[in-house]
Amino acid sequence: MKILESMLSKNSENKISLGLFFVLAILPVAAAFSYAVLYSFGVVGIANEGFTFRFWKEVLSTGEFIQSFGYSAAISAVSMVISISLALYLTIIFHKDFENKILSFIAYLPLSLPGVVAAFFGVQVLSKSGFFSRLSYKIGWTEDLSGFPDLINDQYAIGIIITFVSVVAPFFLLLFLNIYENEKVDELHKLANSLGADRRQSIWKVEIPILLHKSKKLISLYLIFLMGAYEIPLILGREAPQMLSVLIVRDLKQYDLTKISEGYVIAVIYSIVIGMITYFIFSRQKQVYA
Amino acid sequence: MPKFRKVTLLLYVVMIMFPFFYLFLLSLSAEWKFPDLTPNYFGIKNWQQIFSSQSGLGTSFITSLFISFFVALTSTSLGFYVSRYISYHPRRHTMSMLAYFPYVIAPVVFGACMIYFFLKMRLFGTLYGVILAQSFVAFPYALIFFTSFWGEKIQSYEQLVATLGGNVMQGFLKVTLPLAKGMLMICFFQTFLISWFEYGLTSIIGVGKVETLTIKVFLFIKESNFYFGALSCCLLILPPLFLIYLNKRYVFNKIL
Amino acid sequence: MKFLHIQNISKSFGQTKIFKHINLELEAGKTLSILGRSGCGKTTMLKTISGLIAPDEGDIFVAGIKINDLSPNLRNIVYLYQEDLLFPHLNVYENIAFGLKLKKMDNEVIDQKVHQMIIDLELEGQGDKMPNQISGGQRQRVSFGRAIIINPKLLLLDEPFGSLDVETRYNMQQLFKRLVAQYNITSLFVTHDLKEAFTMGDTMAYMKNGDLKVYPSKSSFVNDRSTGMQDEISFWNNIKMFDNG
Repeated sequence: MKILESMLSKNSENKISLGLFFVLAILPVAAAFSYAVLYSFGVVGIANEGFTFRFWKEVLSTGEFIQSFGYSAAISAVSMVISISLALYLTIIFHKDFENKILSFIAYLPLSLPGVVAAFFGVQVLSKSGFFSRLSYKIGWTEDLSGFPDLINDQYAIGIIITFVSVVAPFFLLLFLNIYENEKVDELHKLANSLGADRRQSIWKVEIPILLHKSKKLISLYLIFLMGAYEIPLILGREAPQMLSVLIVRDLKQYDLTKISEGYVIAVIYSIVIGMITYFIFSRQKQVYA
Repeated sequence: MPKFRKVTLLLYVVMIMFPFFYLFLLSLSAEWKFPDLTPNYFGIKNWQQIFSSQSGLGTSFITSLFISFFVALTSTSLGFYVSRYISYHPRRHTMSMLAYFPYVIAPVVFGACMIYFFLKMRLFGTLYGVILAQSFVAFPYALIFFTSFWGEKIQSYEQLVATLGGNVMQGFLKVTLPLAKGMLMICFFQTFLISWFEYGLTSIIGVGKVETLTIKVFLFIKESNFYFGALSCCLLILPPLFLIYLNKRYVFNKIL
Repeated sequence: MKFLHIQNISKSFGQTKIFKHINLELEAGKTLSILGRSGCGKTTMLKTISGLIAPDEGDIFVAGIKINDLSPNLRNIVYLYQEDLLFPHLNVYENIAFGLKLKKMDNEVIDQKVHQMIIDLELEGQGDKMPNQISGGQRQRVSFGRAIIINPKLLLLDEPFGSLDVETRYNMQQLFKRLVAQYNITSLFVTHDLKEAFTMGDTMAYMKNGDLKVYPSKSSFVNDRSTGMQDEISFWNNIKMFDNG
């Protein structure tokens, strides 16, 4: 696309737009990141005495950050795999049924549930005194509260994963249904049949690859979003290990002032990693169009 | 339809609808203890408390509405204006990538790192501070959203209007704005929902003084007041449900 | 100086030369066909003349006036794309009236002109229809009408019939010739179709790799082997011989 020079010829308008872009999009992130870096090296902050590597050494040596990072990445990956699988399954098998007006409307309903509501609902149904525990008691599977397994605040993050899936899978179902229609996947499936592919081959070699290819950027973004999720792990997670955002905020709110600096160290590392992943996603995209 | 398909679809529908029914039921309940499957009280007394000062829910609802409306209006209009400049810029790819950073960084972490600046600007713990903080997340979203609008086709329309004798303002009012109407609406509601659903950033910058509905949900969870928690959830869900009913596109958008 | 006088215009994007030292002249009310393949620089050249792109060097004169520094909306030169680009939110009438409304003309005058144009375009009864309710050929006619109704000094057509089927294309060619004669429009008609270039223009030019060669007559165009006209004639002659056995 050639740039239309006269479209950008009004200098005053350009300056305003550039100014707004800088002030509202670049400056806040740059300022926050700079402050976090300075705090992490002890240059600024309450009770900090000047440049030091102390906090960085502490964070990297205790392993709490690495553990939290690994924990967050694992939960995010597992949740995404389950969500994508469910969404793919429903799309490929039931895409015709979702053309029905009522079912199509119902498919959109989960978008009205934010993370905090999903987390609250998760507590209500998955906790030891929750709905499923009561159901289990009535059926006779458990005899009391303690008999019901730990589904929230547990070491395997079952509650977090279930809640993530309940939020993410519906979105990807809608996305895949959209792609299925726009990319005429049904037509391509028929074409594959005419070339000799059976149903199974068509699904694995045509439909699934197309759906995944067209949504790979969003899948990458959602992996990042889930890693940095806050409300759901805050309510449904354990004391340790914690997901990244919860750990960072916990440290930043500490009375122990050293912990605040360590919190900023984690925030800096987290931002750099996310930044690199984002850059990677974008640079691959650029290659495709070049 | 084969039995397996019917059962699966029915299961799907039940799983989708269950949270809505359960939360609504819980909001109408009281004295619902383990191991009862139904509440001892079922009525509207919780809902009658919405506008009481004790629950504070009415105030929170209006606060959330005000914040979200303001965030949506400023983000959408500014995002639309600035996105044109970015889309036509020689370095638009780099600028678009930079616009993603505030959007991908967890808002709560972003907020935690911004506390110092909000304190200096005397916006910490204020309503306008929360609006500004949420705009730092919503504005980049709007920027990214509108970059798909300013493509070759719109550029061609702008050029056509110029050669037909129209100046920039005429082109904008008579062609660009009407063509962008649909997207402006969708972006407005999308940024409204980003703000409406926001918790982490609001709790950090608002520091408990700005009680939006999401903050209320958390407060009720802490107090183990699950009935009012459910009531807050119902209020929280109402606007997006209404938007889905009006036009599903307002709520679902893919940023590709 | 002729009505349109282009002197030595050049344009490059970075290291890539798009066109260089273009010179052409055209009398008022005449059509110059420019034959050129994809990627030869013709679109950029047309956009430069219309003011949408600034040339690196050279001058453009219309009716004796140098227009280099004039912004596109003040040149009264209309650039038409291959795509019809009708405004999707306006109906046929409103699309045609668009340029007149920009000039803030009297509504009655606009109404009269637009209705006459609708008749000239053979689109009676279609005035209320939206662009997505009419055919490709009809949309292209509306696009023409919208351009011609404002009496442009110069009309720049960039492969306007490229997306039409053979029959519609022929009808559009006839309509174009009739309208430019009726409204005395000066135009540059760019196409990659040899027959169309030959049919549409009063004079002819050939563009290749950013260089423009203007021919003093149609016969000199035909006789120049590089235009491909000779090959085309040979092809049809061979068919004829084959048919005759």
